[in-house]
Amino acid sequence: MPRKISRRTFFKTGAAVAAASVLAGCEQYTRYVTIEPYVVPPEEQLTGIPTYYASTCRMCPAGCGIIVRVMNGRALKIEGNPEHPLNRGKLCARGQAGLQLLYNPDRVRGPLAQAKRGSGALGANPLPWDQAIDELARQLQAAGNKLAIWVGPATSGHLLDLFGRIAKAAGAPAPVVYAPGSEGQQMLISTSQRVFGRSAMPAYEISRADVVLSFSADILGTEQSPTRYGIEYGNFRTQAKGLRGHLIQFETRQSITGSKADNWYPIRPGTDGLVALAIARLMVDQPGVPADRVGRARTMAGSFNVDDAIKAADVPMEALVNAAQVFGAAQHPVAIPGAALAQTPNGADAMAAVQMLNVVAGTAGQPGGLLLDADLPSPAPVRTAVSPFADVQNLLNNLRGGGVQMLMIYGFNPAHELPASLGLADALNKVAFVVSFGSLEDETALQANLVLPDRTYLESWGYSVVSPNFGTPIVSSQQPVVSATVAIPAVDARATGDVLLTAAKRAPALAGAFTWNDEVAFIKDTITQLPAGAAGGSGADLLWSRFQQHGGWWPASAAPAAVNATTGAAPTLNAPQYQGSATEFPYLLQVYESTLLGRGEGANLPWLQGSPDPMTTIAWQSWVEINPETAQKLGVSYGDVVRVTSPNGSIEAPVYVYPVIRPDAIGLHLGQGHAHFGRYADNRGANATALLGPTPDNWATVRVKVERTGQRVNQSKFEWTEGVNQGFTTDVIPGSAIGG
Amino acid sequence: MQFMRNIPFALRLAGVVVVALVLTGVLYFFWGAHAQAAPPQPLPFPHKLMVGAGVQCLFCHSTATTGPAAGIPSVEKCAGCHQVIAANKPAIQTLLTKYWQPKQPIPWVRVNQLPRYVRFAHNVHVNSGINCERCHGNVGQMNEDYQVVRMNMGWCLSCNDQQPNIRQLQDCSICHY
Repeated sequence: MPRKISRRTFFKTGAAVAAASVLAGCEQYTRYVTIEPYVVPPEEQLTGIPTYYASTCRMCPAGCGIIVRVMNGRALKIEGNPEHPLNRGKLCARGQAGLQLLYNPDRVRGPLAQAKRGSGALGANPLPWDQAIDELARQLQAAGNKLAIWVGPATSGHLLDLFGRIAKAAGAPAPVVYAPGSEGQQMLISTSQRVFGRSAMPAYEISRADVVLSFSADILGTEQSPTRYGIEYGNFRTQAKGLRGHLIQFETRQSITGSKADNWYPIRPGTDGLVALAIARLMVDQPGVPADRVGRARTMAGSFNVDDAIKAADVPMEALVNAAQVFGAAQHPVAIPGAALAQTPNGADAMAAVQMLNVVAGTAGQPGGLLLDADLPSPAPVRTAVSPFADVQNLLNNLRGGGVQMLMIYGFNPAHELPASLGLADALNKVAFVVSFGSLEDETALQANLVLPDRTYLESWGYSVVSPNFGTPIVSSQQPVVSATVAIPAVDARATGDVLLTAAKRAPALAGAFTWNDEVAFIKDTITQLPAGAAGGSGADLLWSRFQQHGGWWPASAAPAAVNATTGAAPTLNAPQYQGSATEFPYLLQVYESTLLGRGEGANLPWLQGSPDPMTTIAWQSWVEINPETAQKLGVSYGDVVRVTSPNGSIEAPVYVYPVIRPDAIGLHLGQGHAHFGRYADNRGANATALLGPTPDNWATVRVKVERTGQRVNQSKFEWTEGVNQGFTTDVIPGSAIGG
Repeated sequence: MQFMRNIPFALRLAGVVVVALVLTGVLYFFWGAHAQAAPPQPLPFPHKLMVGAGVQCLFCHSTATTGPAAGIPSVEKCAGCHQVIAANKPAIQTLLTKYWQPKQPIPWVRVNQLPRYVRFAHNVHVNSGINCERCHGNVGQMNEDYQVVRMNMGWCLSCNDQQPNIRQLQDCSICHY
């Protein structure tokens, strides 16, 4: 029965509620907004007026120019620098995410030390900087020439220079510059020496090419300079007079570049070189191919047996004929070898074979063709010279043999990125003292005695000699866009350049080698040896300020360097031997760098973790790419956790049914599976390097087996592909269900 | 109220609450920024004392002539004087020990409120000869700061309408952008 409410009660209640509401409404929520003033204000900052600084992105080794918007001393947004000749104002997702490196809550707050490595006592032993630098100096002095230095490839030129000078002054071997993937960079340069007689990084001006033949080159994803290639690709597809470039891609699993191709041909891993030779051979017989190209193609591959390629690569004859016809008859065709070829046993020969296609086409050094890096007018700025893998092996042998007393690791996380089969952990055990310079505590820092946190690239000085530079010599400038103490007062990081210079002065054996008081003086000394560039200016001070203001040095105009392209016979290529027996390990493994997380260096940035992978749209997770046909055979579908085992190790991850991978191949990305890299990265997904062997020349040619574990996980993906996968519907994939 | 007998009690009460909420919303929307009592601050800050001692507004709010925000002085600036001046007073001791020494910003509570979705630039107003007091009242006599005028659009226009360049000043995007 409804309760009665009197007229009087109604008005009383109503009035009370209204009065309470009015009173509450008086108190605006903004009333309690606080205004926090600076503790120490940065110079020349006006509240409400942004300041823009030009600098260089360090999220990958490419060296794009950036402009950072700074408000009240805090960096708020990173965009591309429109003046910069490399990336012309564009920037990729990784570059945008750099802010989260700066503001990362897991940054190391100050120097840390531990007597026993891996003891987990690191966080408990903070050290004042002065004491930490003293310790570094003492160890440098004690190590003498038993010093080893290992540097990642995305390191500022001045630090490469400084580390090199320290090694030289100590009489120790030159620093090793290597991270997995660098072997591709190194091989591209050595292939230029072999085919074109000049040791330089190649780049491809595809904006003016009409046909691109790509061999496992993920130019839009992770190849040398993806942002620049993004610009080049846009122009390649929308040329004058309605011309649209034609892209043909050969690879084992479809990359983002492959997904844009007009013709995409899945080939077995390690057979790119054979396919290149077959295309050259077929060009000899195709109609519409100019006579000079026919002549050069005959010289290159006249005696090659096309059937060898068809058999080894498992590619139809029509595919090769199509590629030969389109490539042979084009005006400006260009062939691009992927850096990933370096991870196959015949990689050097394969890369040479692909580059020879550029010689056959006659476009090497021409507009719309292959360009070699232009040299700087001064040798002073240090270019990143990646070490061959043999140097890494030598270093590891030295570590194991006890020939190294002190190891300094900068800009690289070997404990996560190197395959366990290389035995880094054991080798480190033989070293008395390990120093890490990471801004974030990573797996390598755990193995260090001393952690000297560097400032992030947005807080520090530096420069980068851009490579590949697409024919324009560029030294990109890096300057602090925020004051480290103002932007993140909780973090007391110091620039590694300054730390090294100070320590070297305190170590009697090294003191004489350094005259600079700080790294800025050192960089200025280097940069002002360049002549006036596009920004003009004369005299050291003006050159230096223009260098900072415009984001770097480059000439007003540059003609691409001539490429010496002489035709020769191609190397003899054999079908690759895959690691592991075909009966035990029936599938071919394809491990590739993640477009967003790289080899794992981006895994601690939530923006990158949360961005969907461009091919699968999966975020925050690992996945195993399996062809629908294979998935059906294995009885697995989306989200089923499988164990992937190679002769080197095994990992577990959920399946993503991927129609664009060969049925005999399994795709796995790098980047996840961190054990200790901050809250956003830890214990997330699997580290695919566990499956790889100790040398990179078979990283792309490992066999694996796949077993069901019976577990299932929900996949966090943005798009559902069930039912739209080119004829593969959920009906034909057993065990698949919406919601997987 | 005969008709209400047929409506369940809960529904009637819900009706009252809904009416009250709508009323609140309407009031909230139109009330906007207005004169209010002094909000509680993390530290006592008598402007009267500072101004009485001869400190000019621009000494602390130093960007009022150069930027859109007048600026709240940095903790460094506070400590710069107060490490010496009145350093033994309890409030100054709090300033030094709680904020300056551990390098923490002071969480001042905003006193003067503008409505949302509008921008205001101090520099153009101050540089055209408008006194601080014109909008902020006689801060020099305040022991605790409070807002003296309702800073709504009518108030802005009541002054801007008197200006010779009225046409530009009436452009919406001058303040709403």
